[in-house]
Amino acid sequence: MTWLIWRQHRTEVCVLGLLVGLFGVALLVLGMQAHDLFPGGPARCAGEAGTSEDCAASFRRLDDGYGFVENLLAAFYLVPVVIGAFLGAPLLARELEEGTWQLAWTQAVPRMRWLAAKLAALAGVTVTLTVMFTAVLTWFRQPFDAWEGRFQYDAFDLEGLVPVAYALFAFAVATAAGAILRRSLPAFGVAFGAFLATRMAVALGARPAYATPLTTMEPVPVGGSKDQAGHRPVTGFADWMIEHGYADATGRRLSSTEYYELEDAADRAGANLNQFLHARGIQQFGVYHPADRFWTFQLIEAALFIAVAAALIAVVVWRVRRRMI
Amino acid sequence: MTATGFALRTDGVGKRYRKGWALRDCTLALPAGGVIALVGPNGAGKTTLLRLVVGLLAPSTGTVEVLGHDVTASTPQTLSRIGFLAQDHPLYKRFTVAEMLRFGRACNLRFDQGLAERRLAKLGIPLGRRAGALSGGQQAQVALALALAKRPDLLVLDEPVASLDPLARREFLQVLMGAVAEDGVTVLFSSHVVHELERVCDHLVVLNDGRVTLTGDIDTLLTEHRLLVGPRTATDLDRAGAVVEAVHSDRHTTLLVRDGALPAAPGWQAQPVALEDLVLAYLRRPSEPSAAASSGVAS
Repeated sequence: MTWLIWRQHRTEVCVLGLLVGLFGVALLVLGMQAHDLFPGGPARCAGEAGTSEDCAASFRRLDDGYGFVENLLAAFYLVPVVIGAFLGAPLLARELEEGTWQLAWTQAVPRMRWLAAKLAALAGVTVTLTVMFTAVLTWFRQPFDAWEGRFQYDAFDLEGLVPVAYALFAFAVATAAGAILRRSLPAFGVAFGAFLATRMAVALGARPAYATPLTTMEPVPVGGSKDQAGHRPVTGFADWMIEHGYADATGRRLSSTEYYELEDAADRAGANLNQFLHARGIQQFGVYHPADRFWTFQLIEAALFIAVAAALIAVVVWRVRRRMI
Repeated sequence: MTATGFALRTDGVGKRYRKGWALRDCTLALPAGGVIALVGPNGAGKTTLLRLVVGLLAPSTGTVEVLGHDVTASTPQTLSRIGFLAQDHPLYKRFTVAEMLRFGRACNLRFDQGLAERRLAKLGIPLGRRAGALSGGQQAQVALALALAKRPDLLVLDEPVASLDPLARREFLQVLMGAVAEDGVTVLFSSHVVHELERVCDHLVVLNDGRVTLTGDIDTLLTEHRLLVGPRTATDLDRAGAVVEAVHSDRHTTLLVRDGALPAAPGWQAQPVALEDLVLAYLRRPSEPSAAASSGVAS
């Protein structure tokens, strides 16, 4: 079976391996240059952007030289999806498309053994390639993580366990869709679409609710310019800010209209906005997840996607066992 | 060859798809040894029955027993005793012929590589060629060589020659029949072409509209059935139970009867019936079992 699986899927494995390899080499080269901007390592500068002059300079140069790479990489959370879908889609669909399922399942290898071997091998390749991809990417992002934390979408979706879960999810959707649609290409499309929809819903809806967020509330400081007043309240650089704004003295949150009325009133009075707000007991609040929740959140999100993947694979196994294909 | 002496036994087998029943109440007992033809028009349920026999499908009702074993258990032992050639003889198109043979070796308990290579060499099919680059006839030959290299006790073929040109068709049947003679393998194959069957087959199963309408040894069937030709009549139906089909022309009535060798009534002439006419008569019959007793009228 090992030879057969390799022979049937070597094209996909080689293409994906080559892409991940090229990508890895490119990131290693760029990443080494980026790391060199931080004498003593990027970790030393974590959270120091505002305090240490050296670190601030390093971060500035990082942003100038490699900010575009970071922006580019934000879309690369789709790479694990491509890996999973590309390996999962043909697993059953190609056999059904070309009629060779009738050949494969009438040899002396029982179909359940055939399916188990294929699923294990191709899911294994999916995980291996994704882990390699994620390892390089995580290393590359170290300076950026020291700057912005790992909770933003362009870090959380690319690092840790989540990419592997995305890849397995895409693999399972593609396999199941292939079993039902009997076509590789539509199965690939379905996996891609299903991932985009699920990930959108999860990232925007579910992820902030994995744990109860913390809230800070403190009076608007008197000092500081007008510009700073609107910026984030004091939380750690790596925390994940979900919501922030203004509240009155009792802690009731102000709507944006109410806030703009206050701004207008301050303008008319010709007063400094911060002093104006401070005098009225206006407070800034922030709703956030602290940075140390990163791995908890990673585990929860990975478990979510892997659970769906497991359910879909169970459906595939059930269909093959019941000879519905 | 087997403990039961039957290559295939089905009992009340039915298969229902979402669209409806493809096969109903199929009860067969086919002897081991020899060649069995499964005949019926397109959509009669031939492919469904064959897929049930090789365990690719599970029956909705009833049981399928192949070579004395329940085929749905699909153990490696049972699977290795059945060779299957699906319709349009699918192969891995990107594999070379040699790789197809390696596939067979990797996936079977016994696989006679030498036998397959000898067959292919005799046909002049190069081992290095990609399966997808071979002609249709050559692809069919490779698929047949693969199935035969398993040294199966039962070889099942679904419309094996339907997509082949006449020359490739003849060559394919020659190889197939040569293998039957050499190995004593039981062959079950489906076809919607009726002529040439007589030369090749020992046993016949006629399938129409998802039901078995006729099954038996071909020689026996041919001696049991006769054509009776006589003056035109619409009432001479005292043999109603035995009349398979009545055809009326202006002056004559032709009855196909299944009554063994009873003497014909006065004024009637008895003739042997050709296999093709026999099969066609059964295919023309309404498929409802209740209606089968009354004689169908065709022009």
